[in-house]
Amino acid sequence: MKTRIWRWIVIALLVAVSSSCAVSGGGYGYNGNYGTSMDIGVGYYEPFGGSYGGWGPGYNVGPFRGGDHRSDSFNMHRGRSLQRAFRPAPSSHSMPSIPSRGANRNGGHPSR
Amino acid sequence: MHTILNQTLLKKRLAAAVFSLASITLVTPLLAVPLQLPPVRSPVSQEHHLGKPIFFELVTPDLVAAKQFYAALFGWTFRDIKADGVQYAEASLNGRAVAGMVHKDLAASQQLQSAWLSFISVGDVDSAKKVAIQHGAKVLFVPHSIPNRGREAVLSDPQGAVFAVLASSSGDSPDILAESGEWIWSSLQTTDADTGAAFYQTLFDYEVFEASGDDSEQHLILASDGYARASANTLPQNHPNTHPHWLNYIRVDDINKSIKILQVLGEHVLLTPRADRHGGNVAVVSDTSGAPFGLLEWTEADSKEISK
Repeated sequence: MKTRIWRWIVIALLVAVSSSCAVSGGGYGYNGNYGTSMDIGVGYYEPFGGSYGGWGPGYNVGPFRGGDHRSDSFNMHRGRSLQRAFRPAPSSHSMPSIPSRGANRNGGHPSR
Repeated sequence: MHTILNQTLLKKRLAAAVFSLASITLVTPLLAVPLQLPPVRSPVSQEHHLGKPIFFELVTPDLVAAKQFYAALFGWTFRDIKADGVQYAEASLNGRAVAGMVHKDLAASQQLQSAWLSFISVGDVDSAKKVAIQHGAKVLFVPHSIPNRGREAVLSDPQGAVFAVLASSSGDSPDILAESGEWIWSSLQTTDADTGAAFYQTLFDYEVFEASGDDSEQHLILASDGYARASANTLPQNHPNTHPHWLNYIRVDDINKSIKILQVLGEHVLLTPRADRHGGNVAVVSDTSGAPFGLLEWTEADSKEISK
């Protein structure tokens, strides 16, 4: 009888030890708990085999460098419907670029 | 007599085992030092810019090689943070934090590659997650509060591009021009830029500007607070195997000089320098572990052009 009680105590302690070593749900994904799709955290690796770069002529991704260069020829050239999935910015708004001033780095909005 | 002795011995052994296990149970949590990640902003900023990419984190199987690479190419310096079995490095440039790098083992049999993860600013991570799910996103890392950093979650957009949302507890970086060696731009390359832009507009309330030219690909500018934050682009048609992804760009003053350094380091140039829009040059390269990122040449003259 006593041996059986001891056995249960040992099993309970083993469970407690394994729980203390596991990553708790309140932790975050920097601790190697990347096993499930719901908890990969920042331990994210891209699928292998994708090709990057190699862009053809006319393929642009960068910001504009001044002035409003919004294209009005998109639909003419592609023949696509005017229907967009997104809400286009009002035509009265100029095409923005990235911030141009590098003044006070410790905060505050530089004048544009 | 013999049986009694055996029982006594067994009890002693069990008692010893219980004592050992109890000790481990109590001591293990006390020894585990939680990982203390650095804040995004230091000193703390009161600025918050919804939709602005504010932080970038690399996951790599070789942290030492990655640090050497980025130090040689951009002059980044590093502060190692080791705790709870995690190897993390805070990258800085001229005393300002520019990125984080985390080590994660990667077996050769795993068909995966290293990547930079973009953290985009939100006010409420849980709300952003909810909206993202409603519009077809998947949650890869449920919202977590991280000491010093804030609250973050990792999501996969409806087309599969992975990004993170972050409510920084130290505020966001101010809207000023990135210096050479700092992150300056982000672009989404995706299957359908139109619906991609709509998804991110829903999430970050972007103003979306049409920037497509005569070519067959679609290019859209995503803006907030009056500044361009990123672009959404159709994947290049000559690369059908490329999966949707975010690509982040570091500012360089002389892209050809950077490419030469990169070639000395023996790393890959995925896209040789080429003119992008108004004469600026862009290139796509990969680091020691294959993580792709962009180089964007931006000179003082470019800024003057904007300021006019």
